[in-house]
Amino acid sequence: MATHLRRRASLTVTAAAAIVMAAMPSAQQRPTTPRDAARWTAPRTPWGDPDLQGIYTNKDENNTPFERPAELAGKRIADFGEKEMAALRKERQEAAARQASSIGGTADNDTGAGPPHWYEHFDAENAQPWLVIEPEDGRVPPLTAAARERAAARQAARSGRGPADSYTDRSIYDRCISRGVPDTMRPIIYGASYDITQAPGYVVIRYEMVHEARVIPLDGRRKLSPVIRQYMGDSRGWWEGDTLVVETTNVHDNMNYRGATSGLKVTERFTPLGPDRIDWQARMEDPTTWERPWAIRMPLKRDDTQAIFEFACHEGNRGLENILRAARAEDARKN
Amino acid sequence: MVRPMSQWLKGLLAGAVVATLVTLVATGTWLGSSRAAALPIARMADGRPNLNGIWAASNTANWDIQTHQARQGPVIALGAAFSVPAGMGVVEGNEIPYKPGATAQRDANGRTWMTNDPEVKCYLPGVPRATYMPYPFQIVQSTEPNDILISYEFASASRVIHMSTSQESPTDTWMGWSNGRWEGDALVVDVKNFVDQTWFDRAGNYHSDALHVVERYTPLTTDVIQYEATIEDPNVFTRPWKMSMPLYRRAERNAQLLEYKCVEFAEELMYGHLSKKP
Repeated sequence: MATHLRRRASLTVTAAAAIVMAAMPSAQQRPTTPRDAARWTAPRTPWGDPDLQGIYTNKDENNTPFERPAELAGKRIADFGEKEMAALRKERQEAAARQASSIGGTADNDTGAGPPHWYEHFDAENAQPWLVIEPEDGRVPPLTAAARERAAARQAARSGRGPADSYTDRSIYDRCISRGVPDTMRPIIYGASYDITQAPGYVVIRYEMVHEARVIPLDGRRKLSPVIRQYMGDSRGWWEGDTLVVETTNVHDNMNYRGATSGLKVTERFTPLGPDRIDWQARMEDPTTWERPWAIRMPLKRDDTQAIFEFACHEGNRGLENILRAARAEDARKN
Repeated sequence: MVRPMSQWLKGLLAGAVVATLVTLVATGTWLGSSRAAALPIARMADGRPNLNGIWAASNTANWDIQTHQARQGPVIALGAAFSVPAGMGVVEGNEIPYKPGATAQRDANGRTWMTNDPEVKCYLPGVPRATYMPYPFQIVQSTEPNDILISYEFASASRVIHMSTSQESPTDTWMGWSNGRWEGDALVVDVKNFVDQTWFDRAGNYHSDALHVVERYTPLTTDVIQYEATIEDPNVFTRPWKMSMPLYRRAERNAQLLEYKCVEFAEELMYGHLSKKP
């Protein structure tokens, strides 16, 4: 990604930012909230859009609980200053380290899951105590009665089935189909890199996991017909100041994101906070699934060393094949 | 009545031809360097040709990159709906210079196409096949020094064309490792580090992991790109050879790459035999 020139541009920008920040009372603080973003103006592409191009990672948000954990009940995100976060980070890193040997196994007990150095979550420097920022209690709102009925029906349809009677019993992710929106931005073990490319009228985000190149038109065109539903949905974007807002609908019925239907609407906001940091938020709305909308948030950190490599997931999906083979061998053993 | 009209038309046509020749000579295009220089093409702010857009080939090369006659398709039940249309071929000179003995593998691939073609399994199609499969692709071009991205509808494949620095691939890949440069108005892409598991077509034309492809994307007009791919693979071919074809812009106002996540369409074929029998 244009590394040498970009570094030079970024050094210039960094120097300018340093001068601006030195003039402020809180010179020591990194901009970390969207309100601070007002202090930062992103560079522009030749056609005038804010230029967010580059490689970003959120591998540092591994190990962060999705919702507020029970032991932190009563707390709010604002209660966690630098000292409190440092303690949480230490605790989580130690927990991840304790599990390390159970991932790749040892020389005489290979778990088949690869060596520990494949994994990116051991030294994660979490920015937040949990991911859900709306509602304030950090919990995903309760499912509606309709959503509970759907979940029960799915459960009933699966009753009597084993975990791998067929490939359809495995997750969409196990099957190398997709992780969908917004889950494809949730870091897991490795591959938590995102590469943003822009062209006039478009932003494209590439995700390493499974391999996705998500093309987001910015030209105000109409959404796809509801007849066309896609695993990554159908995204339309626009700029609000320097913030890229992306609305995704037309989600595939098989996606079933936390019980949501194809009526799910995800609104993401990519707000540049400085040359090396984007504040990413995703707000989920599906009135037939949740009693009210809710949102998550994570920082994306610029890191050109985290280039995306080809993930030929399905081509090398021995995992799925072996799970099915093992299940049939188990059936044969029982009979 | 017929004769005078015919003569009048002839005169008109001759006049038009002369006028066109005069215009072409006067503007230097007739004797000039190339047709590409004669027609307006879109350009980016940095002066490079603007290749942004959704493109597709319109040929039968995915069936067979060489000249082929129409024939019965492999699924009798699908009759005329899935039989093979004839094609002029896209290989210059129509000859693929296989090494002695290497055609046997091609013939075997062709015979076992339905079970062995990576396309059937929804595997990443490789380069140049991704270009002429019957699915559109989108070129995403920023200005220098940014890289160029190509996103393909088939199997959500994509590839980055490294533009600013020539980079080495850390490993072999299905879509290859691409380093690009501009030669005049042509985008020239050097692609290597392939696995040996992709094919060129359903006829079974194949390569090894020594495959080296040099692509040239030359804009002819705002809506047509002349595409060339020079193929080199000393394990399989005696000399480099070349494919060429035009690529056409998808001109629908609402043109958009749609998802073709074909994994789920190949699963029963690949894993059905491993499902629990009722």
